[in-house]
Amino acid sequence: MRVPLSWLHHSVDPGLSAEQLASTLTLGGLVVDAIHRPTAGIRGVIVARVEAIEPVPGSSKLSLVEVFDGREHHEIVCGASNFGVGDLVPAALPGATLPGGVGIERRTIRDVVSNGMLASPRELGVGDDHHGIWVLDADAPLGADLSDWLELDDAVLDLEINPDRGYALSISGVAHDVAALTGADLRLPETPSLPLGTATGVPVLIADPDRCPRFSVTRIEGVTIGPSPAWLQSRLAAAGMRSISNVVDATNHAMLETGHPVHAYDLARLVGPRIDVRQAIAGESVVTLDGVQRELDPGDLVIADASGAVGLAGVMGGAGTEVGGTTTDVLLEVAAFSPAAVLRTARRLQLFTEASSRFEKTVPQQTVLRGAARCAALLTHVAGGRVAGTDDVWPHPAVPEVIRLRTDRVRRHLGMDLPDQRQAELLESIACVVAPSAHAAAGASGPEPDEGVLAVTPPDYRPDLRIEVDLDEEIARLHGYEQIPERVPCSGRAGGRRPEHAARRRVREVLAGAGWTEAITFPFIGPADLDALGLSPDDPRRQTVALVNPLSQEESLLRTSLLPGLLRALRRNVNRQAADVAMFEVGAVFLPPTPQELGADGGADAITLPAEPLLLGLAACGAFEPLRHDRLARPADLADVLGAADTARRAVALPPLQVAAGTEPGYHPGRTARLSLDGTAIGVIGELHPRTIAALQLPPRTLAGELRLDLLTARGARLPAAAVPDPRPPLRFDVAVLVDSDVPAAAVESAVRQGAGPNLAECRLFDVFTGPQLGEGRKSLAYALRLEAGGGGLTENDEQAAINSIEQAVRSRVGGRLRRDDSAGAAARDQRR
Amino acid sequence: MNQAPAADPETLLMQGRERFAAATSLSELDAAKAELVGRRGALTAVQRTLGGLDEQQRRDLGARINAVRAALAELEAQRRIALTDERDRVVLAAEAVDVTLPARTARRGSLHPIHETMETMVDVMANLGFSAVEGPEVETDWFNFQAMNIPVDHPARGMHDTIYVQPPNPADPPGSVLLRTHTSPMQTRTMLAQGPPVYIAVPGRTYRQEAADATHLPVFHQMECLAVDEGLSFADLRGTLAELCRGLFGPGARIRMRPDHYPFTEPSADVDAWVPAVGDWVELLGSGMVHPNVLHMAGYDPEQVSGFAFGMGVERVAMLRHGIDDLRLFTDNDLRFLASF
Repeated sequence: MRVPLSWLHHSVDPGLSAEQLASTLTLGGLVVDAIHRPTAGIRGVIVARVEAIEPVPGSSKLSLVEVFDGREHHEIVCGASNFGVGDLVPAALPGATLPGGVGIERRTIRDVVSNGMLASPRELGVGDDHHGIWVLDADAPLGADLSDWLELDDAVLDLEINPDRGYALSISGVAHDVAALTGADLRLPETPSLPLGTATGVPVLIADPDRCPRFSVTRIEGVTIGPSPAWLQSRLAAAGMRSISNVVDATNHAMLETGHPVHAYDLARLVGPRIDVRQAIAGESVVTLDGVQRELDPGDLVIADASGAVGLAGVMGGAGTEVGGTTTDVLLEVAAFSPAAVLRTARRLQLFTEASSRFEKTVPQQTVLRGAARCAALLTHVAGGRVAGTDDVWPHPAVPEVIRLRTDRVRRHLGMDLPDQRQAELLESIACVVAPSAHAAAGASGPEPDEGVLAVTPPDYRPDLRIEVDLDEEIARLHGYEQIPERVPCSGRAGGRRPEHAARRRVREVLAGAGWTEAITFPFIGPADLDALGLSPDDPRRQTVALVNPLSQEESLLRTSLLPGLLRALRRNVNRQAADVAMFEVGAVFLPPTPQELGADGGADAITLPAEPLLLGLAACGAFEPLRHDRLARPADLADVLGAADTARRAVALPPLQVAAGTEPGYHPGRTARLSLDGTAIGVIGELHPRTIAALQLPPRTLAGELRLDLLTARGARLPAAAVPDPRPPLRFDVAVLVDSDVPAAAVESAVRQGAGPNLAECRLFDVFTGPQLGEGRKSLAYALRLEAGGGGLTENDEQAAINSIEQAVRSRVGGRLRRDDSAGAAARDQRR
Repeated sequence: MNQAPAADPETLLMQGRERFAAATSLSELDAAKAELVGRRGALTAVQRTLGGLDEQQRRDLGARINAVRAALAELEAQRRIALTDERDRVVLAAEAVDVTLPARTARRGSLHPIHETMETMVDVMANLGFSAVEGPEVETDWFNFQAMNIPVDHPARGMHDTIYVQPPNPADPPGSVLLRTHTSPMQTRTMLAQGPPVYIAVPGRTYRQEAADATHLPVFHQMECLAVDEGLSFADLRGTLAELCRGLFGPGARIRMRPDHYPFTEPSADVDAWVPAVGDWVELLGSGMVHPNVLHMAGYDPEQVSGFAFGMGVERVAMLRHGIDDLRLFTDNDLRFLASF
């Protein structure tokens, strides 16, 4: 809503600068987005009369115009030809200034001296019209300063209006708030009332009073269509509307001033004539004022005559009954429509108009006739004619509801001491009627007023004020939000995170410390993403939850895996020549619920919601340790990603995850590990299958993994039991186990650990060796062991006993034996220690 | 070792003076010291002859040996200082490394600024006594809209540009399941699950059907806060917001509130924050006193309890804290960007 201050000042003038007023309004709830001054700075432009027009020799377009300003004659060269002798025009004489600081000087054009220029509306900042010189009203004051006469030295406030403040989509509504917020006097324009109940010749039938509670028509006969007077043109231009004709401009002026959209029909073009306000009929259509044929839907509310729909109620009128140059009799429509009805049609047709923007924010029923009267007065003033009749159909007149306001409650809710008197004054400043409550609603305690209760009747221009808390907001904003104190409440308990949330944060932090970069990707995937992962048709991850209106068809599903998004992010970085990537993401996937994996509570309607298990996704490629001056690059491999999983579980003090070789669609069949915790599957980590890598255009040897973070963090970060160091020296020795190559290291280690017994404090694999001396299909695994005594000190006998026991365990569990001649292992150990 | 007849101590002292002076390295000095005063050294050999002497001779020779041993020790120590200085000057100088070579650290990872900002926001609210709770990203229309006092035909729905989800159960009505447009549904979920008082902060991911550009994202993050208790007031809302702003933007931050409209609060307020690092007021969040309809739908009695709520965009806070002006950086996952956190 653009509010020219010159216009506002006709109703209220608080004596503030535009900037001061903007700040006051913004803090009062009407947000001023910008202050415009399209016509400010005009100096020395006067109203002059064209006395003569002569061609400029040698030019087909230019003419020399002689104008008279009431005292002197001036000769001005002009390129336009839309005016004639006797017309009044704006003349900018030498020394004059146009908007934007453009200075006018005496110039010589084609050997002819031009003493200034004649201006178009656009050159004066009054709208966009640049087709010719602005021809002013025939009764414009000759010689007057144009800026003074038309109040062009003006500022325009650009207001952003919230849905609950529809009243501020009008100059009068804004004026109410300005008066309330500044204490200035309010003087709304007075308007003669309409001759109610007189025949208009156009019967009105409201078929749907729920969506059209009130509909008024006013018949005006004998209008003369023509251009609007300059004041109306410049005022509408400042408010951001184009001048069309005097009749249309009058309806727009009335709308901007009162907030009531007005539509003018050419009575001669209404068929019947009669008006129905009804639902559209299937198959019906109407050509709207913008020349577009609109196919209607039975949910649309239309205005119809005997021929069918002639307008979309509250949105836009029809072209067939539009006021034009030959119009003499006009029917003005001022009505109230339900916001939902107007919004529905506007949204369906993507047709958002000045009218619909007002109706969707509720136009009050009570003031319909004020809008009609104001428009009729303006219209007859600028286009002649007379009001011939008015009909007002209002089947169920709304009665103003009295709101009981408990003043003590207001003080408690706002948290400040605001006396009853002050509360009443604030409400009265926006024209509420405030009385001591007579307890009329209950009627039980007789006529005695309730202590501390005010009976507040909201003014009819404020349909948004319905319940007690609505008045809280009015009192608070009028008093000033910034006047309310600041106080920190005491919740009475320690705040914090739930254990799983705190554990998740810890996992993320520890992973970042271990060299992994956190990504956040959109949780949308497409069917092609699942194909690229090589999922079989019956893979559970193909049981997706689909979107009705996705951002794109490639993002039509909610993800069932973090990998598509994470691998996309990895590839994007590789394409940007960041070849070494190790990324993780913590996020939910979305699965149709099962008895094991339930969705969230669907509320009273028991709506089924998907399960949203939280996963940890991992993806890596390139070097995990990049090339340095003192070290070769080390490519990321499976152990790095398994390390991330181990880091995550250690962050929450869980025992080590069980790792087993496995297969998984999309992964390398020989380089994939399945992880579990106490028999519960936790996830999969592996190198991606070369086919997956090719399908997704990833770097060779890209690694990935997904873990059920929700299961790892389900009980929060566990409290580790302290390991108390034994003060006696530990026993350290190495064993090398010779086994078949296909025995998993985890099985060997498990056997070694079992054999070493309860004194084992550390068991670390430090060498894996294969070679001809071991024989075909054999490998040697060497472990460094540390034993600490539970009771007495440890001796060489204990070492031998442990070795014997390990030997036995290795033989029975993995078919291996200990290597006596362990020179290879020892050499490796010595190198690495 | 020389088994020649034991020399007299004074001769050894003379030899020592020469030998120590002649030593050009610590190892030569060590060798000379061993030959003269070591366990198998010459002076020790002289000492061994004491056993064959009578009392007087033994006392005399012993005294001379001790004097010589002390003198040699002194000489050796002086020479050692000189040679050590020499060694330090030459050898350690030769061992010099370039200390400005890059340090060796573990591989560096980083946390996404959105999650980190969100956790910081939760930290501040936790310090104010709020508990963090999280809710589902796929929501019902009822929790997301209706329980928030946004009925089916409400104009505010137009501003929400919802992404709808095919109901997982085909028997549920179309439009009943959606991606939450704000984290507000946890207000009602929490209130339905527990009685007052409620002090919660709800961090999480939210969705709107709109194209990504510098100032809009279809997937973004919010933290909703709700307090419902006996006697909570607009002043409590103001104080909480002011503390939150100071927690996020530093002790010089402050708030300014102006009326706004949200269906789920009344009075409602938009909150601007004075961010010292920006040096200007910036629009930060929407807030207000919980609308009685919202309390009522959650089974609370608006006559007994009152509350306030606000919801703030995590991206907005992260942009202000880190000086970022394009939202798309948060979704691009460019390592060069992420590594800066």
